[in-house]
Amino acid sequence: MTIFWCEDSLDGILTGIYDAWDSRLGHNQVKLKTDAQDTLELFCDYRQVKTDAVKAEKVLRTIRDRLGEEAFEAVCYAAACTDGGRADAIYRMVVLGLHMKDGRQVVNCLQNRDVSLVMRLRIKAWHEAHRYMGFVRFEELENGVLYSVIEPAYAVLPLLAPHFADRFQQENWVIHDKRRGVMAVHPKDSLWVLADAEELNTDYLGHRSEREKEFQELWKSFCKSIAIEERRNPRCQQGLLPLRFRGCMTEFRKDQSI
Amino acid sequence: MQVRVPENLSLMEKLNILSDAAKYDVACTSSGTERSNTGKGVGNCVDAGICHSFSADGRCISLLKILFTNECIYNCRYCLNRASNDVPRAAFTPQEVCDLTMGFYRRNYIEGLFLSSGILKSPSYTMELLYQTLYKLRHEYGFGGYIHVKAIPGADPRLIEATGYLADRMSVNLELPTAEGLRKLAPSKSRTWILTPMRQVQNRMEENRNELALYRSAPRFVPAGQSTQMIIGATPENDYQIVSVAESLYQKFALKRVFYSAFVRVNEDSMLPALPGGPPLLREHRLYQADWLLRYYGFRASELLTEDKPNFNVLLDPKCDWALRHLEQFPVEINRADYMTLLRVPGIGVRSAQRIVKARRLGNVDFPDLKRMGVVLKRALYFITCRGRTMYPIRIEEDYITRNLLNVKERLPFGMDGQVTYRQLSLFDDQNFSMPPGA
Ligand code: SF4
Repeated sequence: MTIFWCEDSLDGILTGIYDAWDSRLGHNQVKLKTDAQDTLELFCDYRQVKTDAVKAEKVLRTIRDRLGEEAFEAVCYAAACTDGGRADAIYRMVVLGLHMKDGRQVVNCLQNRDVSLVMRLRIKAWHEAHRYMGFVRFEELENGVLYSVIEPAYAVLPLLAPHFADRFQQENWVIHDKRRGVMAVHPKDSLWVLADAEELNTDYLGHRSEREKEFQELWKSFCKSIAIEERRNPRCQQGLLPLRFRGCMTEFRKDQSI
Repeated sequence: MQVRVPENLSLMEKLNILSDAAKYDVACTSSGTERSNTGKGVGNCVDAGICHSFSADGRCISLLKILFTNECIYNCRYCLNRASNDVPRAAFTPQEVCDLTMGFYRRNYIEGLFLSSGILKSPSYTMELLYQTLYKLRHEYGFGGYIHVKAIPGADPRLIEATGYLADRMSVNLELPTAEGLRKLAPSKSRTWILTPMRQVQNRMEENRNELALYRSAPRFVPAGQSTQMIIGATPENDYQIVSVAESLYQKFALKRVFYSAFVRVNEDSMLPALPGGPPLLREHRLYQADWLLRYYGFRASELLTEDKPNFNVLLDPKCDWALRHLEQFPVEINRADYMTLLRVPGIGVRSAQRIVKARRLGNVDFPDLKRMGVVLKRALYFITCRGRTMYPIRIEEDYITRNLLNVKERLPFGMDGQVTYRQLSLFDDQNFSMPPGA
């Protein structure tokens, strides 16, 4: 058994698929793993995969062309999760789809364990991204830039950014994934880009605009007064809005800003 | 009439008063419109709707839900803002509503605005204020987010129409399920008076659909449709009456949603029922479950309840309850039953039914597959076969299945999971509870 050991990211996994396929060792003789898993298996041959954007792009295009839009989306979303088996499951799903007469049917093969895992992970990541579409909180900086910090469980920032790019086309905004040290940066009327947080000059982030505090107070106060005392139910609230999200949300913060 | 709105309140004071007064309005969804940014203004809409926060009562916060004013010339008995109540009064200006909406929207606190109002001076006067606010928001501020606005019964139809072109959703509150209840608790309103603007909005939406078919760029009237809400438990209607009203609203008025709000007793009034157990939340929950069955599962009200059995079972959700009374239609074979039949199986939802139908084209589906497709087998297993076999040897017998289903904890939304006992339930409104069959 040969294990293709790839970087724990979408591009890493896609490159792994490329290399594993290209090795011609036979699909039963290879397995994909990401470097987030540290348990090494015995009696296996390990091959380190060097992430390569060109290879990744090729695989992604093949998926889109042959397996359809839904599979394409499923792969991107599933890759954003943290599940240890996802790299291999995505690989198997692609192999299966490319062997089917109509590759677009592969997303419906839920009897297949790998497909079923990818499709479930897709929902998980979609759910996380969708929650963040609501839970992101921007603060207005002195220079008018909108700045937000998030700490998502999965790498959903790239899935999230297009939504805000459309919604706030006319704004300069930054969403900072503190967990992964990456930022989505959107200059007014332009395309958003993903950047390494360390490489950006973040000095200017310190100062809030004049009305920022007022709006935060208004919002906090609104969130309190909108609840109906007779229906009070913190357990239900917590089920819908788990504590892990609250650290970055204005209405749950005691201090003033991020 | 003297207007009691003081002049010099701060924005914060106004927001406190006017969001507090709006909180009993139920609808906070932002769904039903898909619209990209125009490239000039701020904002877009997402069809599925987005929740931005959850309040301490577990309800979703999606829209800036406020009244324009809580001043009111009417005296509906159940309402905190009624004319005879001595409560702090306030009114926004259109400018203030725009400021708040834009400030909140840019910070991603909200999907948009939910604007309702007490009746200041007259229905038309109030509607005009709502219109001005929306006009300013859409045209001066270029706001492209979601707007839900109330159509005020009795207002000039031209104002209602003009406002509908600025909003995504409009709603007229039905207030109470029957005309009788209305006479008792809101004597200044009548059923016809409420249904007139509802009909107007419906007709205009239909005409607009034809216009849009001809000219794709025609202005859109209430694109996310019309909704309504009624208060549950303030008047003595049974569940069957309520569900039948909802059904006919869906059919005859083409409503998008009917919302229920469990009655909260905010006024001391001899005409209002005392509710020692608090608002009838479980009943509200059962009504919402039934509402889903009407809208997405192809059920009719008369299948769920009858004159003889006019109230929902407290212990079982309406679908399980229905299935137990129709055991002759089960078990169904997963690999053959049509989509509508699958939808009627307890434990199978819209998503899982769709998955089953797609997956079985590519090969037989078995029990472990069902589990991965999101079917709740603990519930479904009594009603299905896969390739002719049941999951375990079971008896298709009402008492046996009822007992087993009652052992499966139902997830209730208000933190009572698994603790539903007869004793606690009697705290609710017991006249409406029937015992489950065989219990
Ligand atoms: S008209 Fe509306 S605001 Fe006025 S008392 Fe009746 S329910 Fe309350």
